[in-house]
Amino acid sequence: MSLQRDPEETEIKHLRDFADFSGARVLEIGCGEGRLTWRYASAAGWVVGIDPDPARIGVALSDCPPTLRSSATFALAKAESLPFPRETFDRAVLAWSL
Amino acid sequence: MVHALREIWRALTPGGLLLDLRPLSANMPVEVLGVERAAVAGYLDTAPEAYADDRAADAAMATVERDGLFARERDGAFDFLWYWDTPEEMQAFIAEKWTDTHLSEEVLVQTRRLMADTGDNTRVRTSANVIISRWRRLGR
Repeated sequence: MSLQRDPEETEIKHLRDFADFSGARVLEIGCGEGRLTWRYASAAGWVVGIDPDPARIGVALSDCPPTLRSSATFALAKAESLPFPRETFDRAVLAWSL
Repeated sequence: MVHALREIWRALTPGGLLLDLRPLSANMPVEVLGVERAAVAGYLDTAPEAYADDRAADAAMATVERDGLFARERDGAFDFLWYWDTPEEMQAFIAEKWTDTHLSEEVLVQTRRLMADTGDNTRVRTSANVIISRWRRLGR
């Protein structure tokens, strides 16, 4: 498959322009296979990606780059019932999921 | 959707930011790219339900804004592009991954015709208009 998604990196340029992720605790809702996560996670302090699809979460977990394994994690969850305490995150990203 | 946004509000710190990224359901062009130019072969078909989803998402954000949970700070938009070497690869991807979007036989045939006319080093692409908005969490 020759697919290229957003090789111009337009999406991450806009996301970085809209919010500073430096050191932030980030919740990504609808992370899928981690396509967007990999592009900002190195700047963030801690990232949790959630998705309701177990297959996609499995891919995200297995594809997580070694350099991000201590700061990025993934969980099977839905936005309607977030398994986190109040006021856990500084940023939330709805990644094509609303 | 509103319930999910209330959950996100709960999980965010006061003053935290919510970034909403989502593609709009509009006509997505299928373009053949040659060395010097691009030509539109047609448009992907979008299911009517997708437009209803867009309206529901907008309504949900308006509800939490009205309820004083989030304040809209900034809006923007950009084109997100997908590229393939062949129309068959594009067709297979769309059929497998996109539930609300369909590549018609008519557009597929026209894409093949344009690629044959354009010569070597051609690719095919489509694009979506993605909106991005930034919302500030309000309250304690």
